[in-house]
Amino acid sequence: MAAAAAAEMEKMSVEQVKAVKEQADMEVNILQDSLNNIRTATSRLEVASSALEDLSLRPKGKKLLVPLTASLYVPGTLDDADKVLVDVGTGYFIEKTTAEGKDYCDRKINLLRSNFDQLVEVAAKKKSIADEAAVILQAKLKHLAPAT
Amino acid sequence: MSSSTVLRELQRDFEAKSNDLSKLQKDIAKNHQVRKKYTIQLGENELVLKELDILNEDANVYKLIGPVLVKQDLAEANANVRKRIEYISAELKRLDGNLQDLEEKQNSKKEAMFKLQERIQSLQAGKAKA
Repeated sequence: MAAAAAAEMEKMSVEQVKAVKEQADMEVNILQDSLNNIRTATSRLEVASSALEDLSLRPKGKKLLVPLTASLYVPGTLDDADKVLVDVGTGYFIEKTTAEGKDYCDRKINLLRSNFDQLVEVAAKKKSIADEAAVILQAKLKHLAPAT
Repeated sequence: MSSSTVLRELQRDFEAKSNDLSKLQKDIAKNHQVRKKYTIQLGENELVLKELDILNEDANVYKLIGPVLVKQDLAEANANVRKRIEYISAELKRLDGNLQDLEEKQNSKKEAMFKLQERIQSLQAGKAKA
């Protein structure tokens, strides 16, 4: 596929190849941003999952400190560590057991991982097109320069 | 009509058309933005629906309304999410039709402008020779 694209670009003028390269570069940047977002979301889910794991080990009635603001913590006791509220999106929260909560986190992490892999493939293809365009642009410019 | 008056009229027409064209392009860009927003919302709602579907009948569902977490009936929550999905899909279809319409108008504007430009150029060439 890259070879066919390269053949196409050979026929185009310098202006057009430049436009193709800039378009491809922009797309690669957007894809990289998306990849970063997925990585952040995945790590947040992993933190949530390990927090759940930790919570399930704590006995009921255990003393803890509850954050009210970023700098204010209030002492409290752990009530029921078996039920957790899961934010599933669009303002809906579902009450689940700790095990179900962990299951939810794992499911989401897997979904994100597969999305990530798909995106990486697309990004790689776009990057190779962008690189091809850059190479052809260079060649064309060098070809023009000695002629003038 | 002298050829310079004709020329000026053509150029004014060209300017008017180019203003129309840039407005069309702005409308198309706005359409893309709204479409993106709706597509994201649709995806999120479908995820929620999937989660609700695998719940037991007696599981508790809460909705965040402002600062208040309100207990909801599972059936009601299901119905709400489904309705939202329907609404968003209808909006997206409407936007698609809109976009097609705008793009057609944009293309015909571009063609008209191109033809105008040709006429202008040939007139200017004719004047230069004379």
